[in-house]
Amino acid sequence: MLPVISHWLTQFVIGSSLLLFIAFALLKINRYLLQQLTTQKSLVNRINRALPQTQCGQCGHPGCLPYARSISLGEASNKCPPGGQETILELAELLNEPVRGLDPAHGQFRDFSVAVIREDECIGCTKCIQACPVDAILGGPKLMHTVIASECTGCDLCVEPCPVDCIDMINQLAPSISQTTTPYFDRLSSPGVSS
Amino acid sequence: MSALRQLASRFFSSDTVFARRTVGGIQPLPFKEDSLRSRIMSTPIPQQLTIPIGAADGPEITLLVDIGEQVSKYKKLAVINISAEGVSDVPVHAPTSGVITSIENSIVADHSQQQQLCINLAADGHDEALQLEPQSNYSLLSRTDIVFLIRDAGVIGMGGAGFPTADKLSKCAESAIEFLIINAAECEPYITADETLLRERANKVVLGAQILKRASAARRCIIAIEDTKPDAIDALNQALQNETGLDQGCELVVIPSKYPSGSERQLIQCVTGIEIATGHHPTENGIVMHNVGTAYAAYEAIVEGKPCISRFTTLCGQALKTPKNFEVLIGTTADFLFELCGIETSNKQKSIVGGSLMGSEFGSDKAAICKTTNCIIAASANEFQAPQAEQACIRCGFCADVCPSKLLPQQLLAFSKTADTTQLLGHGLLDCIECGACDYVCPSQLPLVSTYKESKKRIENRRQDLELSDYWQQRFQFHQYRVKKEKDQAVSRKAVVPAKPTLAAEPAVKEQNDEADFISKEQASLDIAAAVARVKARRDEKNK
Amino acid sequence: MSDLMAGAPFQHSGRNIAQLMQTLLYALLPGIFASLWFFGFGILINIAIAITFAVLAEAAMLRLRNRVSRTHLSDRSALVTALLFAIAIPPGSPWWLVALGIVFAIVIAKHLYGGLGKNPFNPAMCGYAMLLLAFPLEMTGWHIPFEVINGPLTVDNLGIPALTAERELLSPLSWGGFKQALLLAFPFAASGAIDISEFVDGLAMATPLIEFKMAGKSALLAARESGVSLFARESETAWEIINISYLLGGLFLLYKRIISWHIPLAIISTVFVLAALFYAPGHVAIYGTPYLHLFGSATMIGAFFIATDPVSAATTRPGKLVYGIIIGVSIYSIRVWGSYLDSIAFAVLFGNFCAPILDQYCRPRIFGHGLRSKTDRARPNEAPVKS
Repeated sequence: MLPVISHWLTQFVIGSSLLLFIAFALLKINRYLLQQLTTQKSLVNRINRALPQTQCGQCGHPGCLPYARSISLGEASNKCPPGGQETILELAELLNEPVRGLDPAHGQFRDFSVAVIREDECIGCTKCIQACPVDAILGGPKLMHTVIASECTGCDLCVEPCPVDCIDMINQLAPSISQTTTPYFDRLSSPGVSS
Repeated sequence: MSALRQLASRFFSSDTVFARRTVGGIQPLPFKEDSLRSRIMSTPIPQQLTIPIGAADGPEITLLVDIGEQVSKYKKLAVINISAEGVSDVPVHAPTSGVITSIENSIVADHSQQQQLCINLAADGHDEALQLEPQSNYSLLSRTDIVFLIRDAGVIGMGGAGFPTADKLSKCAESAIEFLIINAAECEPYITADETLLRERANKVVLGAQILKRASAARRCIIAIEDTKPDAIDALNQALQNETGLDQGCELVVIPSKYPSGSERQLIQCVTGIEIATGHHPTENGIVMHNVGTAYAAYEAIVEGKPCISRFTTLCGQALKTPKNFEVLIGTTADFLFELCGIETSNKQKSIVGGSLMGSEFGSDKAAICKTTNCIIAASANEFQAPQAEQACIRCGFCADVCPSKLLPQQLLAFSKTADTTQLLGHGLLDCIECGACDYVCPSQLPLVSTYKESKKRIENRRQDLELSDYWQQRFQFHQYRVKKEKDQAVSRKAVVPAKPTLAAEPAVKEQNDEADFISKEQASLDIAAAVARVKARRDEKNK
Repeated sequence: MSDLMAGAPFQHSGRNIAQLMQTLLYALLPGIFASLWFFGFGILINIAIAITFAVLAEAAMLRLRNRVSRTHLSDRSALVTALLFAIAIPPGSPWWLVALGIVFAIVIAKHLYGGLGKNPFNPAMCGYAMLLLAFPLEMTGWHIPFEVINGPLTVDNLGIPALTAERELLSPLSWGGFKQALLLAFPFAASGAIDISEFVDGLAMATPLIEFKMAGKSALLAARESGVSLFARESETAWEIINISYLLGGLFLLYKRIISWHIPLAIISTVFVLAALFYAPGHVAIYGTPYLHLFGSATMIGAFFIATDPVSAATTRPGKLVYGIIIGVSIYSIRVWGSYLDSIAFAVLFGNFCAPILDQYCRPRIFGHGLRSKTDRARPNEAPVKS
């Protein structure tokens, strides 16, 4: 009824196709591993990328990178309040650790807020300028200071040193949420009406 | 197979265009008969117009009128500066004469679901118009002139995206354009605005297409229309026979009716066989696409010299007694149109802008028609099936069969639930065009598209957060670098100073330095204390 | 924001899971009728028992899992599982066998994994495989109603009754057949006078493939050679007709677009190609003809109804093809070289093992992806045209 194919031919066909398949799979796996090797970043880098980079120091380190280094050496990863729950989850996944709640000793979750100087009260002492980790405060000695809102990380570090308590943390939506996906929108240009 | 098809398309591309099979798609019930029964009606001038001029966080707006000013019809009210260089301004014109009463945020019937800044215009009913400057012979105009006139008329994409037409046309100058495709597919249920427009004013649309063809310097112009619109096809054929343009004429391609064949990339693939790579613009492949409504607006802008102050909008839904198509002034509110169609208010459950598959609900009937409002549905309570209880995904794969982007919606849903960004991006979430075909066929009634929208938003937010954190990190590194440099400079200054004077003079100099340092420091702390005292005093005064 | 987003497509096709399952049930009907015709009421009794226990188990599990029983029961998925399970079990099995299998399928293979849509393995086949491992004897005989006419039966050395004139087949649809089937299913109901052990032990018929494997000859071919008409109620041709009926049901499903052609085609063609490759008449090794492999056992039910269960199968199109090939190879190799006689269940379960990784790695090309070079070719000459 059907073509008779002798036994050895069958075995040859099956064997050779299996070999080809295995060779192909090995090549693919090899390429994938090589790619992984080249694209893999160091653990510190990946931890650092998961941190919010506000440089607020609430974790007890002077900046996010030192904390990332410290985490890679075994420090707990739940000391970053500005990162929110997301950072904790991401770090836990990255480090293959169980998810822990935020360490209350290092602060609490807060909405993103930006420092604003009440300008009529500012005495121009430059203490906040020295404290700012990202140089987001403009001003000279004895002259009024102001915060560049788009540069501010909301780290809080300028509030403490101000001798006249004229810096408020104004709660606002995180910049990413207030933006729509309109292609025309530019993060740094402030929208408004000018007539 | 695709190589063969491409070969065939190359072979045929010199003379014939033909519709190719596209991936996926559905054939939903069209619900178009009701609104197709009427001719295009023009509306009476409403007493109050709410003319949208831009989203609250959108591009910058230049106002050209003041509150209380009397304006004539066609007067420029504002210019939306879409890009900083001022090349892509979109002016907004007064649809009728009247007085500007206020400028405030209000709801607009578009997909953004956000309030927009609107100019409120109280019409005086006289409809006093400015003098128009018609260009009876467009073929005498240069390419740049046409683009300028279209820009000046404030024409934007009438299909729904709302991209400034002039920008699209000037983008064409960057590469040689082979095909200009006029999109008359209008595949979404309920919407009939383009169909009625073609049925009644095909001549003008064809002229508009010629103008666009000239402006984009396209070699060929193709009008793509679905086979379910025989009247419009007849009218178009008639118009194409009558046409007396100087350029080579337009061609008509009838494509099989299938949702979402009117989507840009899908239609391009259907008509030309070219698949536009993700992240690339169709003009890179020598293709540009405009909507039928845009072609008509271009005709009005050039031949009649009339700015874009009206558009064609379908009003339909079971809550309306007589669904119609209107040529409606921009800024007319939805309830005004509802009244014209005889609304049964008690029957109306929700208002939807757009068709039944990609539309979005808008909360208030006071919502204003903007340049991209192609359809408004006043849905009755039993018009759309109430969302049934979601069942588990049984991975039947119907969604993957109908997906026009060849995605795997069932997998995307699973990854959306676990918020697995890597997998979502790997499975092409960003290629989802949100057409809703997967939702339509899902036997488990899962809200697929809205889940994807949320995932997209989450991923976009995350991306922006990362961008921001990268920026902050850079700033921090620069800050550290600056501090270190200053410290180093201070150290080197100190190191240099004692090297210069003689050994004997050294202590004195140091003393002097120290003293000066001390004095200035003391002075500074005194100053600060005084300032603190002043501020305190002032604050106390205020508190009293 | 999200409440505004809700319900972006307002229109729906109106299809729901219950409808799909209903169509599936309809598509099973021809096969069930054919089985009824050849094997008598045993199959209906199986179905009745399986459905009863499936619905009870489903309701109990939904209750335990705090789900709304009414909406979830009405999706008819338990019915489909019960039916697929019942037609796989030999008619004439005792009630406890059917009940045990279906309860295992619904409770352990389905609900303990998270219910409909979450089970990684086909529940019906899990139940079947469990029974096959635990009760091999009960699971391999297909009872055909008969009446002993004279003398004791002769049984060959493998325990298979010889087809001699000493017994006469009862019409399976007759009252006698019904009584026999009932007695087999509910042995406790039999009065002491009738010794049912006689026809339970000795007179079950194996499927042709099993018979073939044990006896080393093709029963089907023998039946054909001896000129038995196609519709004679002989077990050998019965399987042919039953398989064709299921094939028709499967084609109906394809027509209704409930299933896609990928999985059945891949399975059937793989089995066919392997059988054609290995079939060597006169050779010492016993492989069987392609025809026997396709129509001599449960291949068609497996290809159209069991392997296509969407929950546990691969869901991408290329994945489905590979999934079908894996199942086809497994079916053939288990049948020919394996120690189990019925291979569909294990082959499908093995396919289910592979499904997740197939979904991950066998994906269709996304529209607009991976055509960098193509786009470059399709791009017309670069020089901008100046007007």
